[in-house]
Amino acid sequence: MYRVQLQDFEGPLDLLLLLINRREIDIFDIPIAQITNEYLSYVGLMKSINLDGVGDYIYFAALLLSIKARMLLPQPEPDAEEDQIDPRQQIVEQLLEYIRYKEAAGHLDEKREQRIKLYTRGKASTPDEAETSEKQVLVKRTIFDLMNALHQVLEDAPDEESITILPQQYSVEDQSEHVRKMMFMQKQVSFRDLVRGKTRGFIVATFLAVLEMAFAQEIFVSTTYDGNGFIINRTSG
Amino acid sequence: MNNVKQEDAVKPVPLNMVLEALTFAAETPVSVEQICKIYAEVVDQDSPPSEQAVEEALELLNESFEKEGRAVRIQNWAGGLRMATTASVAPFLETFFRRERARHLTKPLMETLAILAYKQPVTRVEIDAIRGVDSGYAIRKLLSLDLILIVGRADVVGRPILYATTDRFLDEFGLRDLAELPNLRQTEELLGDGTFDQQRLRRLISKGLDPEEPDGASSSSDTSSTN
Repeated sequence: MYRVQLQDFEGPLDLLLLLINRREIDIFDIPIAQITNEYLSYVGLMKSINLDGVGDYIYFAALLLSIKARMLLPQPEPDAEEDQIDPRQQIVEQLLEYIRYKEAAGHLDEKREQRIKLYTRGKASTPDEAETSEKQVLVKRTIFDLMNALHQVLEDAPDEESITILPQQYSVEDQSEHVRKMMFMQKQVSFRDLVRGKTRGFIVATFLAVLEMAFAQEIFVSTTYDGNGFIINRTSG
Repeated sequence: MNNVKQEDAVKPVPLNMVLEALTFAAETPVSVEQICKIYAEVVDQDSPPSEQAVEEALELLNESFEKEGRAVRIQNWAGGLRMATTASVAPFLETFFRRERARHLTKPLMETLAILAYKQPVTRVEIDAIRGVDSGYAIRKLLSLDLILIVGRADVVGRPILYATTDRFLDEFGLRDLAELPNLRQTEELLGDGTFDQQRLRRLISKGLDPEEPDGASSSSDTSSTN
């Protein structure tokens, strides 16, 4: 089966930052129990849709759990000499370091944007003419927003009656065809409409197909304002 | 033959004109040293112009281009001088060359490249530690794009490979040298002991996560002016 590489999207630290940011939490006073639970529910969802690269997320899930455990343990006698080390310190430091480089990456990207606008002659010309650059993944929001939307749709999906394990019924290729057909007449379609009344297997396979197609720049994906759904848009015409 | 040269030497052409001519005619970037050498060869073998003089001539030339409303400037990227069009006329060139709109590097590639640029020479383990993910794929991709290269092995256990950025990286990002990298803020700067601005950090987090945040769609209630 074709697998979507999670590495092409955001990483585990992005997910943590997103959770922290969404709640407008003080980064130095992270409610670790809450954040850990939210984090784990995302990881659970990732595992269920079988995205590649979940291992990196699981490492951070384990780290969060160990911090949570340490914070639940009775604190040792306060030492007059040394400051108490907050178990959360390591992860906060890592987040801050990550933020620094994310910011720098943004600035560098702007440099590249500016540079690309300046044209030169012959071999002094812009190297990007040599087809060096990567495809941009046409997802306007983060992968986590999409997964959130997927989660909502899955919640509403009818339960499969049987617990018999069936061979894979849906393939990403078939679902891509389904998406293309649905988009034949209209420029955009909501994910909910794509999978209305269908089973979880159908929904998950369709979701993976949408990610693939976004990566191939066939479509781009935007989320609805309430964040509970997303819309698939045709890139051309 | 000799007379011609001497005649040239009698009426020396100013350095900025030579600079303009060479960067116009050359199809590859020209280094400052090359210009010094060429100028000396034609004008005066014994006292070649200093690199400083070339830099000054370059500035002078660009200033006059700007004043005259010209659409070209001389740029120094990766240590190579070349004539390039200005950003204001970019749409016309884009249309003329029918070049596809410039594509971005993906976020993981940009992050990996940024860490590598600021910390070079650097090992994969160090990059992984900051990003929290395996950067093997991103590194291979950047190597194949010729933006980074292997410069040796670190003198630690396991002798891991050290990576650094290439001249092509400088070129593609419009940088003369690594000193021109945008400022990387220190963590201390973010924290600023007692006066740490929580709001600023929050904005930074959201900005870092989603640089193209559409206005009004932000989750934070206090989307304030950007600095």
